[in-house]
Amino acid sequence: MKTPFRLDEHPRRSQPLAPPPDHYFNQLPLRVMQRVQTPVPAPGFSWLKALSAPLRTALATSVVLGAFAGSFWLSESGQVPATTGPADTLATVPHHELVEYLLTSEQRLNINDLAELPAVERVLPETYLQASPDELQAALDAQPTEDTYL
Amino acid sequence: MEDQDILAKFREPAARNVAFNQLVRKYQTKVYWHVRKMVIDHDDADDLTQDVFVKVWKHLENFRQDASLYTWIYRIATNECLSFLASKRRKFLLPLNDVGAELAAKVEADPSLAGDEIELRLQKAILTLPDKQRLVFNLRYYDEMPYEQMAEVTGTSVGALKASYHHAAKKIELYINGTD
Repeated sequence: MKTPFRLDEHPRRSQPLAPPPDHYFNQLPLRVMQRVQTPVPAPGFSWLKALSAPLRTALATSVVLGAFAGSFWLSESGQVPATTGPADTLATVPHHELVEYLLTSEQRLNINDLAELPAVERVLPETYLQASPDELQAALDAQPTEDTYL
Repeated sequence: MEDQDILAKFREPAARNVAFNQLVRKYQTKVYWHVRKMVIDHDDADDLTQDVFVKVWKHLENFRQDASLYTWIYRIATNECLSFLASKRRKFLLPLNDVGAELAAKVEADPSLAGDEIELRLQKAILTLPDKQRLVFNLRYYDEMPYEQMAEVTGTSVGALKASYHHAAKKIELYINGTD
């Protein structure tokens, strides 16, 4: 009958596995010293290493969110005020200058201008064209059909 | 050189490197074999042994001598080993047995065990133990560390360590006798 294995009767090997490569323990102190002597990073960011990993993650997230919020705020504050509409712009021009321009320049009102103008500023044609709606309609109807795009 | 002399020298900036070099030379073999028995692979043991001494370098200045330098270094080495094995399982999503099987395959490939069937079975039996129990077994069986020092290294009571070692030895004997 085979004798059962008993741990306290088994010869003990202090190093139960294959030994490390030759001269391993001669070189190890040098390799360790090389690792501990590595140059320290720039002092500006060395404090980052002292933070724990979750804290570094939280800090990075805050920086990204802060940058996003900052850029959003800057874009909001730098935004130009809403542009005024063509009717408002036209209202700032004195009426006599407007009439002067129309009479002296090469610019001529075409049928489209006449069609759009009452929608923008109802007062202007009533003031300067001196025509009733029926006359205007008659004038519009009298225009050659090929020029109208209504 | 005594630990006290190494520590005193380490506190002098001009002698710090020399003192640390002496510390590494004094403890490197013990630390390496302590780690190697836990991770089996030489390359892993090499990386972890260096990591242990880098940590010792970083924290030695704050070492308050509540424990001996020897047990303090062992504690760092132990924590590194347990963290390494835990991260290995997490990284590859491996259950306990798969890491044990991986380590057992490395033991089987170890040239120093070739032809020594009973020693090979002993090593494989040790690998069936949970990591912490394997650690207790190694410290007591191979390093012959007193239970009081083991308590300092592991942060466990002497009574619990004795019970853990006793159970580990029984499991190993059962494993080897059961695989005859």
